[in-house]
Amino acid sequence: MVALAVAGVLAVFLLYTALGGNSTPLLQPSNLAGHTGTISLTGKVRGPVNGDAKSTGGLQFGLHNINGASTIVPIAFHGSVPDLFKVGRDVNLTGQLDANGTFVATQMTTKCPSKYTATPYKA
Amino acid sequence: MADLGRAALVVSLGLTLYAFIGGTIGALQKRRRLSDSARNALVAAFGSTLVAAAVLAIALVHHDFSFVYVYSHTSKGLGTIYALSAFWGGQEGSLLLWLLVLSGYGALAAVLNRRLLRDLIDWVVPVIAGIASFFALILVAVASPFQTQVRALDGLGLTPSLQNPYMVAHPPMLYLGYVGLTVPFAFAAAAMLSGHTDERWIVATRRWTLAAWMFLGFGQLLGAHWAYVEVGWGGYYAWDPVENAALMPWLAATAFLHSVMVQERKGMLKVWNMILVALAFELAVFGDFLTRSGVIQSIHSFAQSSIGAWFLGFVVATTLFSVALILWRLPLLRARTKLESALSREATFLYNNLFLVALCLTVLWGVLFPVLSDLFLGQSRTMSRPYYDFFLRIFGLPLLLLMGIGPLIAWRRASVRSLLKTLRWPIGVSIVAGIGLIALGAGSSRPGLIEYTFSAFVLTTIVVELVRGTRATGSLFQLIGRNRRRYGGYVVHFAIVMLAIGIAGSSAYATVKEQKLLPGQSMTVAGHTVTYTRLERGRSGTANELRAVLTLSGREHGTLKSGVNNYFTGDTSKEVGIHTDWLRLEDTYVIFDQQEGKGVFFKVLVKPLVNMIWLAGFVFLGGSLVALWPDAREQRRLVARLALARG
Amino acid sequence: MTALIVGALIAVAAVVLVSLPFLRSSGDDVGSSTELQDRRLMLIDERDRTIAALKELEFDHRTGKIDDTDYRALVGPLRRAAAEVLQALDAEE
Repeated sequence: MVALAVAGVLAVFLLYTALGGNSTPLLQPSNLAGHTGTISLTGKVRGPVNGDAKSTGGLQFGLHNINGASTIVPIAFHGSVPDLFKVGRDVNLTGQLDANGTFVATQMTTKCPSKYTATPYKA
Repeated sequence: MADLGRAALVVSLGLTLYAFIGGTIGALQKRRRLSDSARNALVAAFGSTLVAAAVLAIALVHHDFSFVYVYSHTSKGLGTIYALSAFWGGQEGSLLLWLLVLSGYGALAAVLNRRLLRDLIDWVVPVIAGIASFFALILVAVASPFQTQVRALDGLGLTPSLQNPYMVAHPPMLYLGYVGLTVPFAFAAAAMLSGHTDERWIVATRRWTLAAWMFLGFGQLLGAHWAYVEVGWGGYYAWDPVENAALMPWLAATAFLHSVMVQERKGMLKVWNMILVALAFELAVFGDFLTRSGVIQSIHSFAQSSIGAWFLGFVVATTLFSVALILWRLPLLRARTKLESALSREATFLYNNLFLVALCLTVLWGVLFPVLSDLFLGQSRTMSRPYYDFFLRIFGLPLLLLMGIGPLIAWRRASVRSLLKTLRWPIGVSIVAGIGLIALGAGSSRPGLIEYTFSAFVLTTIVVELVRGTRATGSLFQLIGRNRRRYGGYVVHFAIVMLAIGIAGSSAYATVKEQKLLPGQSMTVAGHTVTYTRLERGRSGTANELRAVLTLSGREHGTLKSGVNNYFTGDTSKEVGIHTDWLRLEDTYVIFDQQEGKGVFFKVLVKPLVNMIWLAGFVFLGGSLVALWPDAREQRRLVARLALARG
Repeated sequence: MTALIVGALIAVAAVVLVSLPFLRSSGDDVGSSTELQDRRLMLIDERDRTIAALKELEFDHRTGKIDDTDYRALVGPLRRAAAEVLQALDAEE
């Protein structure tokens, strides 16, 4: 009977993951190019920071890989800017790549605060 | 002073290694004096770790910036309590806390049980000592809290959002939970190693498990409340790997707590219990690994700190050890009685196990998905909220139902007829409640409606149990006193139902609205009118404070302030304004998003019943304490039992 | 200076605690249970369990959770099991 129950649970599970569409690619600026659809992008914020998140142009800044050198992806963010947002900090963005190569994001999160110190990152 | 700290840790390492090796030899060769010596070594290890901890604590309170750790996590202006809380604010300090609690728990368990359960303790000591020596090794060789530097004038300070009473209490509480799960694990391993796989190890660790589970659960609620009031996005749980790291062992421990009741009564589910306790322990350590190594955020950050590799190795080693032990002792773990009916209390406990483990593994899968997909699909992908919400409902709702059916269904074999008869009130009430809820508009969310209806079902079963029991014994007080475990458990179930209601209300029935307001303008959200009146500027010792003053009218009346703190260090943090309607337990939550000219973008959320969640925390604590409360009669029986057995 | 003294003290205390059991005059006798004691213990556990189950059955019947038919069906086997265990325990003595 246990076997049946376990099989049932697994079936529900596999069905769900098979139907897909619920996982989002987790990428860095270096391997972003060419991806379509909703993407979760992680990187380090690079200045200059322009614009504002409530305007049509959005908050504009650059994003590059957390480790090592990489191309800088232009970001346009619309929404609520998290507290710990700062040049040099690591952020995670959810959005899509538009036709101009700008990553248009609607959600931004920063890491758990105990991972940061109070002074700005030495880039 | 740092030298003393370092030396004390080296002594701890030596003692735990001795307790581990000596204890193992003593247990294998049945050398009493060696086993006793190993036990003493574990106690002594607690002492030396305490000294090391005291050194760090004193350095923190005295702002001794020659300690790299003190420099990195505090500053001159930091008050004593927050300076002290920096103990667990960083990697090295939190590892030291882990070792302190572990050696403390280990010493206590060994000393308390040294006469009653000698043959088990002989193995418990080396198991705990082995685990402790790993942590001691890390502290001595990989991540020492006692690194020194040229004394600096001031430190880097503690991140503002951590300077909050909830964040002071949250980590130690979680640690009391995580580390606490090591004790039942050690007893289980000892039971298998010694061959004494009867219920003694379960009876001995029952309170340990319950206490650890209580701390872990309450600690998570503290964290959720901090996220709600301090991080300020309007939510309290984001299914972040770090949050899941605490949830997974808690779910496994919940299953274990329930499943052992079946072994105690019926001698069944023995293998399940060994697996569950090992799972809870492994997930606790794995959770620690997750939080420390940052491996899930990006597989490349793995290389940033070697500590991740050490922890991963430890988790793998202990998992292999547990699996090997269970496989070896499988013959001893055969059940005494069989499951007689799919409709019985034993069976409901089994279903309970299955659903809880299924939920736990679902979360684990979601946490590991980015790493696994990177390894096997070549591309890292992540699971988002809908995945977790879906499975929380699929497994959580049946669990809610089982909470109602379980206490009322009979052992061994329950007939459908008698079950329906016993459940007639709960079924009736929940149908009426469901209809009433639809009339009140709860039909707008089907999962929410189901959750509420099931909650009504469970609440009624608890009331029915209490009423029936009180009628039979004469007084509620006597009833609870006679069987603290059962009725304390019912109070905890009540807390879980409150939690379910609070979660359903604040998520399925919440309203969100964003709007830019100029002074004098208002916005209406779910019956509340929020008017922006003016801006206030203030200043504290650490920041410039900007606050928008808003008035609330309509369903509720009041004033709230929502704004931003601009710290002198350059950081900012949003300070949300929350107005609570205590009658409805509803919150009006205002976030000061951004200024634009004279206006401000505000995000207003109305969260019905959210305060049920925090209230549930207190009920949860109360119920757990009732269940934990020492029962003099039980203790006497245990001692008498053993004396009789000795002959 | 204090650091050195405290350090020395811990070290000494540790050594003392650890060697204490070896300074005892009594030998290395095990003190662990023999097979006979184990079996006795298990019988006692079973007796306690069966009696507790009987008590619970009575209580559940009294409070109406189990109806008469189910009670009659379940109490017989439990009482028999309890009698068996008690007999086995007596035989051990």
